[in-house]
Amino acid sequence: MSATAPRSGLFGWLDERYGISPLIEFLRHKEVPIGAHPMVWYYLGGMTLFFFVVQIITGVLLLMYYQPGEATSYESIRYIATKVPFGWLIRAIHCWSAHLMIMSLVVHMFSTMLLKAYRPPRELTWLTGFGLFGIALGFGFSGYLLPWNELSYFATAVGTDSVKSVPVIGHWLLLVMRGGEDVSINTLYRFFAGHVVILPLICAGLISVHLLVIQRQGMAPPIHGETARGMPFFPNFALRDLLLWLVCLTTLAMLAVLLPYGPGLPGMEWELGSKANPLAPAYPGIKPEWYFLWIYQLLKEFPAHLLGMEGPEVCLLVVSLLMGVWAVIPWLDRTAQRGRHSPGFTDLGFAVIYFLTFLTLKAADLGVAETPTNDAETAVVATFCAYITLGVAVVATLTRVLVYHHRWFVLSAAALAHIALHGLLGWSYLTVGAVVAVVTAVVLVASGQLRTGAEAGVES
Amino acid sequence: MRTRQLLMAILAASILISSSWSQAETTDSEQPFTAPEGLQKLLSSVDDKGAAVIGEEGKAYFEGLPSHAKRLFGEAVANEYIGAATQLRDLLSLELNTSKLEAVLTNNCLLCHSNPAYQDSPTLFSLDPAAVKSPPYMDLKLLLNDVHMRHKLACAGCHGGDPTGNMAHEHPAEWPADHDERVADPKWVPQFCGRCHSDTKLMGQFNPSLPTDQLDKYKSSHHGRALLEGRNPRAAQCVSCHGVHGIQAANSPASSVYSKRIPATCGKCHGDPKVMAGVKVRDGSPIPTDQYEQYKTSVHGKALLERGDVGAPACNDCHGNHAAAPAEVSSVAQICRTCHARNGALFDGSRHKESFEENGWPECERCHGNHAISKTSDAMLETSKGSLCADCHDKYAGEKAATCKATAAHFHDTIVGMAEATVDFKEITLDLAERGLDIEPIDDERRNLDDALKQSRSQIHSFDRSDFDEVAKPGIETMDKMESLVEAAEQDYGQRRNGLLVAAGILALLSLTLWLKIRAMERDQRKS
Repeated sequence: MSATAPRSGLFGWLDERYGISPLIEFLRHKEVPIGAHPMVWYYLGGMTLFFFVVQIITGVLLLMYYQPGEATSYESIRYIATKVPFGWLIRAIHCWSAHLMIMSLVVHMFSTMLLKAYRPPRELTWLTGFGLFGIALGFGFSGYLLPWNELSYFATAVGTDSVKSVPVIGHWLLLVMRGGEDVSINTLYRFFAGHVVILPLICAGLISVHLLVIQRQGMAPPIHGETARGMPFFPNFALRDLLLWLVCLTTLAMLAVLLPYGPGLPGMEWELGSKANPLAPAYPGIKPEWYFLWIYQLLKEFPAHLLGMEGPEVCLLVVSLLMGVWAVIPWLDRTAQRGRHSPGFTDLGFAVIYFLTFLTLKAADLGVAETPTNDAETAVVATFCAYITLGVAVVATLTRVLVYHHRWFVLSAAALAHIALHGLLGWSYLTVGAVVAVVTAVVLVASGQLRTGAEAGVES
Repeated sequence: MRTRQLLMAILAASILISSSWSQAETTDSEQPFTAPEGLQKLLSSVDDKGAAVIGEEGKAYFEGLPSHAKRLFGEAVANEYIGAATQLRDLLSLELNTSKLEAVLTNNCLLCHSNPAYQDSPTLFSLDPAAVKSPPYMDLKLLLNDVHMRHKLACAGCHGGDPTGNMAHEHPAEWPADHDERVADPKWVPQFCGRCHSDTKLMGQFNPSLPTDQLDKYKSSHHGRALLEGRNPRAAQCVSCHGVHGIQAANSPASSVYSKRIPATCGKCHGDPKVMAGVKVRDGSPIPTDQYEQYKTSVHGKALLERGDVGAPACNDCHGNHAAAPAEVSSVAQICRTCHARNGALFDGSRHKESFEENGWPECERCHGNHAISKTSDAMLETSKGSLCADCHDKYAGEKAATCKATAAHFHDTIVGMAEATVDFKEITLDLAERGLDIEPIDDERRNLDDALKQSRSQIHSFDRSDFDEVAKPGIETMDKMESLVEAAEQDYGQRRNGLLVAAGILALLSLTLWLKIRAMERDQRKS
């Protein structure tokens, strides 16, 4: 069908007024690149979007019964979970979908990073995606408090407390977040407003831009441009997306029915429990959701005072710095900008994965039955988590060497040395981290590896 | 104008006077203290190995004291009341507040009796009496925390003499002159303590809520009669329970008569066969000495000693304290009723009341025991040989035994049924909750069942089947209700699972169709 050929009927009527034909033509010719890497990485964005749509639908359904308030928040969630027909299912799906959405988002982000899909001209896609990641964490944090139960109350108190360590504006930020000095029903009101109005509005804007630029530019081809073939986006890729969504929906339904309160893993359970009581003492072992565990653990690794500042202040500065570097990677990776492999940044991606894995596992207190109460138990946790992380790293490294022929491992080796020295030899996490960072920097500069890692090396 | 000038003059004069006053005060308090030679020597003393006797902490405490307290130390050393570096070290290590320190440093009795240069054991106070071979009551720390010391009744209050003057003095008239006689037969002690403790007016100055009838009660007690009538000089008197130096108020956890410590205090004598030698109970047999051991295993003992429940009865709650006596058969039931009122009332209206009285049995003790009262068990109601109800009825109920045992069996079966249901339903509700089902109605009913079970267990004391059934009926109805609620929850879960199966089946079918469609489509595309 020609783009200019007149059409009759409803389509013709619409086309005449809104010019739909060029859009159809665009979609008809849009292709998804088929290249050296598996196509699975192209589906993760769509999967995240699917979970987000599920969140909107279940969120709106929950909103029909949820009543924010000191005497109603907990009660209405309890009512939803016990009395409303299928209320339990909607709540379970909402919770499961939230976690799965963040999981697919994290994998999506790392696959984008490792495949260098952020390289020009897709910097804006990376930036909006990074913004969406932040928004997703915001959704998780704000939604967590809404049931107004004991666990969410104290976890929010701990979570918001760390905000006060932000230099200069920390206390002000704490007041803004809490609506007062302490977590109160005012906090819940603003978290509720954030969860159902403010964040969705920002999210809608960012998703629109993110999707628009993806549609306009197409999906990033594998580096070196060795792709000669392409799969039609419509209908081939769209139908495959739909198939994946059906699988996701089936998985979601099974998880929600069989494990309605989550898998019971640290930071991944949502049993309602008792109503929040601000006067009750906080019980030990309160932990945030799994995607915040690494920051939670990093804060614990910092001493009370460091470099003339409060320990948590320094920690948040470091986290902000890391986040900032992560956000501007498209501009830092100059090799990828020129369409060449940048093994240094690939290795950075793996180093970050090991760093986050170890901290998350350690925060979950793996290796001991209950929350450690003394240094010996903490050391057991560190050792156990170090072994797991190192085990994962060995498998990952072998795969990189044998399958992808990677040859540059300086940063991931530094991250693993850090974990091994801390976890296996019991050295201070922070001290050994600083030493490893300095030694790595010196080695890189002295051997000219900085340039080599960024620009040279061959990867397939 | 003149008034104004007058006011100005008064103001100026006031300022002058107050400034000179404060100047004088400041001068006095801030005047640097220079330790006299004797004190300086003690402060810098070294032991045989050359190590300082008074450590840095002691010296720092001394340096932090106000000048007048330091001067008191200096005077005590100059007057030789403090005569050894170890004595000074002990006094400093107590880290007393200034007012208490002043009281100690102006008490010549105490200083002299803690001075190893002047005193030998057993009259030497020390922080470690065992080390200097003094009796345990010569513990300096205990003495300074004594309730009497805190109320300014110091050594002279009991021992006589003048703490600020000459050390030579006579003991009070109530004290037997000879030390050995005083210790061997302490029958003078109650009267001596009663000198103050029976004086309502005097005691009212310190603690108006403290009773003043202890001496009268003591005289009527078994302890009092045995001691005062000269039958047993080992019988407990004031000092035996309250101690000598280091006496604490009874509500202080440090007191030997604090509720949690009473069993051990009583057990100290009553668990010692040597102390109890020759003491007989009413029937003439020797008094047992295993009460404390039995009590520790009892439900009351565990509550008090293990769980720290100070509401649980100790020895004195049943036997009295100052008027301590073995409980009479007639009074045992009344003692138990002070806490277990409902069970007592039910028993009073039961058919057992009469037969217990006829046989002269103490009511509660007959079934539950005394010092070793164990947690009641539903097995007590069993009808097999060896169980409480069955054995007693076999022995005493004669031809009614079969009916009585049938009633006991009915109680047993009903109660055990409810008890088992409570446990079973708890597990079931946990399981249902884990599966995300609404357990609120079942939990509510479980609480009702708990209440009914407690009421039914108590109602046994009426020993009446119809009364019991009336109380147990709500429990049995609750069990039926819970069963139907659990059944409904299981059905709900079944529907959820079936719903999931259907939904998953439809979704799987859709997925399969879609997959086939994609394959067919791509095959066509490749062909074309």
